[in-house]
Amino acid sequence: MVLCWIALPVFAFLGIFSAKYRKLTKDAFECFYKTTTFRKCESGLDDKIRSDISGTFLKFSPKTAKFVYKNYKLLSWVFVIVLIWSSYVGAVGLYNYLNYGNCNGPTSNKFCLLDPTGKNTGFSELEGDIITEITFPSLEENDPIIGPENAELTIIEFGCYTCPYTKQADETVQEVIDYYDGKVNFQFRNFPIPRHELSFETALAANCALEQEKYKPYHDLLFEKGEILTKDLLYEIAEEVGLNTQQFSVCLEQEKYKNEVEADFESGKSAGVSGTPTFFINEQKIVGPKPFKTFKNIIEKEIQI
Amino acid sequence: MIFFNAEKIRKDFPILEKNIIYLDSACMSLKPRCVIDKLEEYYKEYGACAGRSSHRLSERTGLEVQKARNIVRKFINAGSEKEILFTRNTTEGINLIANSLGLQKDDEVIIGDKEHNSNLIPWLKLKNTVGVKVVICKSNDDNTFNLDNFENCFSKKTKLVSVVMTSNLDGVTNPVKEIVRISHDNNVLVLTDAAQAIPHKKIDVKALDVDFLAFSGHKMLGPTGIGVLYGKKELLEKLDQFIVGGETVTDSTYENYQQEKIPNRFEAGLQDYAGIVGLGEACNYLLKIGMNNIEEQEIKLNKIITDTLAHNEKIEIIGPKDAGKRGGIFCFNIKGMDPHHVARMTHASKNIMMRSGAHCVHSWFNAKKMKGSIRASFYLYNTEEEAKIFAEEIQKILKIAS
Repeated sequence: MVLCWIALPVFAFLGIFSAKYRKLTKDAFECFYKTTTFRKCESGLDDKIRSDISGTFLKFSPKTAKFVYKNYKLLSWVFVIVLIWSSYVGAVGLYNYLNYGNCNGPTSNKFCLLDPTGKNTGFSELEGDIITEITFPSLEENDPIIGPENAELTIIEFGCYTCPYTKQADETVQEVIDYYDGKVNFQFRNFPIPRHELSFETALAANCALEQEKYKPYHDLLFEKGEILTKDLLYEIAEEVGLNTQQFSVCLEQEKYKNEVEADFESGKSAGVSGTPTFFINEQKIVGPKPFKTFKNIIEKEIQI
Repeated sequence: MIFFNAEKIRKDFPILEKNIIYLDSACMSLKPRCVIDKLEEYYKEYGACAGRSSHRLSERTGLEVQKARNIVRKFINAGSEKEILFTRNTTEGINLIANSLGLQKDDEVIIGDKEHNSNLIPWLKLKNTVGVKVVICKSNDDNTFNLDNFENCFSKKTKLVSVVMTSNLDGVTNPVKEIVRISHDNNVLVLTDAAQAIPHKKIDVKALDVDFLAFSGHKMLGPTGIGVLYGKKELLEKLDQFIVGGETVTDSTYENYQQEKIPNRFEAGLQDYAGIVGLGEACNYLLKIGMNNIEEQEIKLNKIITDTLAHNEKIEIIGPKDAGKRGGIFCFNIKGMDPHHVARMTHASKNIMMRSGAHCVHSWFNAKKMKGSIRASFYLYNTEEEAKIFAEEIQKILKIAS
């Protein structure tokens, strides 16, 4: 009977811990082998399971017990199909987790059982409708490059300085840059999440730092000190990285790069970005602060290492 | 008459604290605390050999074994302790007779048609090896013993009648007294398998006048691996040895040996002393409760179940309809259901433990072309409430079968 197909892996697993299940595993294997070769199972394991399950239901509901007893074969097939389906889903989930850090794949930020703390799935979601017709982003001359100039591959990152997940991902960004040593860099594209306080201002500030060619240190300090962001902090960081503070103040107060930031944001939306951080490695998207291996797996499909 | 109280008796059985409904005593009885304590006493206080060494522990063991032998003698009302041979079980007792009686080619042995394998295989083996003829006495349609058929089984070559006293299949007790009378009239010896009778009713070997009687300890509250073969003294003295070795001889040379007297000459090798003293304690316990009380209680429970279930057309009782004739055994099938399924379902639903299958009476089931049956068997620790729960569960399963 097909239920042995389920019993075999279950008992084999339990048999690791208990001798009782080793005997049952043997019976299940005999039953599995016979059933698979279209013969009658002789160990009687299927009958035992059938009776035990029906008997257990008999305690609570004789009607259910009768249903189970009479429809045992049908129920067995249902369970076997569910097993095969769930094994497939489980295997895909495991593959995704091992390769992309999330059971649901690189573009997902949904809950993953293998990552219960959500370490790899954090995501600051944008409210409102997401564009379904995607225009993949292209490199913009005006946007800052993190990492080496003239790299073979540029990954576009849509991030928000007030987003804790973008901050978390920044460590991985640096790890990728270091690992590929000149071959990979990132272009940071502003995607200020509107509900985050000062998200827009920080984006403007970073652009003002870029104007003075001090983007990277400003970017790093924003993430480093950005636990409690205040407008004053934006000026303090400017001073700390050695910006011309007057030029910076004027730039920031007059919202000099407002159009630039808004253009970044719109290009993100066109690309189907629904929150931060979102990365584009050519046309492959990574959502959330995925681990290094997720980037590695995709990068190495795109360029020769 | 001692007032019988199953609830009180249950307290003597530690295993019953596990919230189980044990209806498999025909296979194995549970053990009262006094028997378990007695086993422990042997190992803790005097666990030595009997009759071999002269130290204090050995003497105590010898004394305890002698006491146990005497209790067993009293239990079946044998004339002498010498008539009580300790064996491993009923099977060994029957094998002893089969191998020691000196049966020759064409000698005939009469057995019943629903014998346990223990009282079938030893004779079939003799049939194959020596050429002994095994005559099967057919029962009545309701599985009760047919004395007319029995009388017709005799011939001039009949040497032994070996029949079960109480069937482990259906609980029917054969008229052993009549069987013995008829056999003796034909100058034929009688061996009876009393494994299923001894635990449940008063047996008096003198009154029955049976020549040999075998039973096991494990079905009568005693330990496992201990049994008894009773034999009339004058017959045992003439009987050839079966298993020989240590304790069965008084002296030996490189060429020959001097046989021991009965009963020792049949008790080869080191004996199960713990089992023997435990069996003695079990006999004491049963005597204290009263065998008639036990028999009455079992029949009472069997009637409760029979009255609740027998009228259902899907229930097929093996044996007579009258519960009084089936003692403590309710053996049955539910039409359209595998007996193993029923047993496992009641186990899963209410922790009811009983046996399903051919109960070591394969020959009977094969002749009837039946796969097996479900057997609920009762003992002194079973209560009316348990019988009612059992009947209710079977009623529920009957609905599943419909």
